Amino acid sequence: MIRDIGYLEILKTNPGTSIQDLGRIGLGHWGIPISGAQDQRSFNLVNHLLKNKPNAAVLEIFQPGFKCSFDSYATIGLAGAKAEIRKNGALNSSTLIIIKPGDEVEIGKFCLGSIVYLGIALGFQTMPVLESRSFYPRITHSSMLTKGEKIPFFTNQAHPKETYSTVKMDLNWLEEELLEVFPGPDFEALSEESKTELFHKSFTISTLANRMAFQVEELLPNQIPEQMTAAVYPGTVQLTSGGKLLILMRDAQVTGGYPRILQLAASSISLLAQKKPRQKVKFHLKTFEVGL
Amino acid sequence: MKPSLRQIGLNIIELFWAEKPTDLLLQHILSWELAINSQFGAEVIETRKGFQTLSCQMKNELNRSILDDWKLFLESEIELSQLSEKVWEIPVCYDPRIGKDLQTFANSKSLDIEKLVKLHYQARYRIHFFGFLPGFMYLNGLDPTLHFPRKNVPDQKIEAGSVAIGGAQTGIYPTESPGGWHVIGRTPISLFNPEANPPVFTKPGDRIKFISISLEEFDEQSQNSTFLTSHD
Repeated sequence: MIRDIGYLEILKTNPGTSIQDLGRIGLGHWGIPISGAQDQRSFNLVNHLLKNKPNAAVLEIFQPGFKCSFDSYATIGLAGAKAEIRKNGALNSSTLIIIKPGDEVEIGKFCLGSIVYLGIALGFQTMPVLESRSFYPRITHSSMLTKGEKIPFFTNQAHPKETYSTVKMDLNWLEEELLEVFPGPDFEALSEESKTELFHKSFTISTLANRMAFQVEELLPNQIPEQMTAAVYPGTVQLTSGGKLLILMRDAQVTGGYPRILQLAASSISLLAQKKPRQKVKFHLKTFEVGL
Repeated sequence: MKPSLRQIGLNIIELFWAEKPTDLLLQHILSWELAINSQFGAEVIETRKGFQTLSCQMKNELNRSILDDWKLFLESEIELSQLSEKVWEIPVCYDPRIGKDLQTFANSKSLDIEKLVKLHYQARYRIHFFGFLPGFMYLNGLDPTLHFPRKNVPDQKIEAGSVAIGGAQTGIYPTESPGGWHVIGRTPISLFNPEANPPVFTKPGDRIKFISISLEEFDEQSQNSTFLTSHD
């Protein structure tokens, strides 16, 4: 099938907008971070709505004030944060939008959550580098999308019909504060006091929260010395010598030397990704159903 | 030198050795890595090495029968493979004009620059694994005289190719990055190329030898794409 290329043009964006898919899986042994959509739950949902392949590339948008236009027919999908979406100025509440050439889509106020995913039928078609389209500094040519950039997609829908069923989105999960965690390799080295504090206190997301890691404001007393460098993953919770908790996210480096005290469940990484600075989270310790 | 087993999350399992990092431990880690890939290959997303760890991310959650397989596997005798004999010669310019921390480093160590630099390029280093940045090699073999704590406040920008010392480690920044290590020189060689497959040219187990070059040679080699030499 010959597919014609259409373009989405960024008319307005704040920093942080990028292209993401499931990331560079299995390249960590070369020091390459996984990257990929920060909230995979919403990423998967948008591709599911569009009947896309699971790894189709989407736009990840962190801030209000995003506006784009399309030069060709397309079907786009939206998931993630609850936000004010406008098509050609009119408020739109559906999760799938049929686009005609010249249409403009705008993302305004975020009401709940912190990341909107804008997907498109068949996925965005930027050049993959090391098997992924996910932006990462000095791997892909840019690390953020800026005004005026044009992103290719396949337009093969000269007369798109509204064949998709409208899905009512349940966004209650975004209000959840409990992060499910498993004990990390250095968990047992924590003092009983630190363990108690870890699971009884609420922690406040600091302003140092990005695609690499989320920090929390509260400190946790730490007696564990630095460790020999070892593998870390998205969801690994490190405890620095100063008692700072670093929750590693998708762009995290692949190894680290701080004690690894917890590991977030996959669903909790997605939940945390949608939290904003000053919001509270609590850790809920899970044990492995089958142990070693 | 038997590893112990621990679980990280629902689909990551880790082999841990309590021994200090040496060639022998690396030999064990690399041999176990080969054994894991032949035993569990189809179920493995990837293995990642650390100085004392071999972490293995699996496609599926670890259940009772998989964990029992792992425990049994760890009891088996594996064949130790030999470490690579390959030595990569990496040119480094140790001129204080580009090794911006060289002078302060030498002062703190009460060494003259010449002596310090010699201690750095005379040693042979063994690549244990990649981490920290894409293409960053964790090397073992830094002379204890050159061990030096990391900076309290990391530099915002360390140039790609910078050769630096942090703690008991030395390494080369493959890409520009913030960093807390002391920069003592720079190589004109590119260590990471995302357009290439593989994006790095060295392998864990290979050795590195630094070759001291002048600033003129550095400038010249930075202009041209230099071929890296290795010998077995």
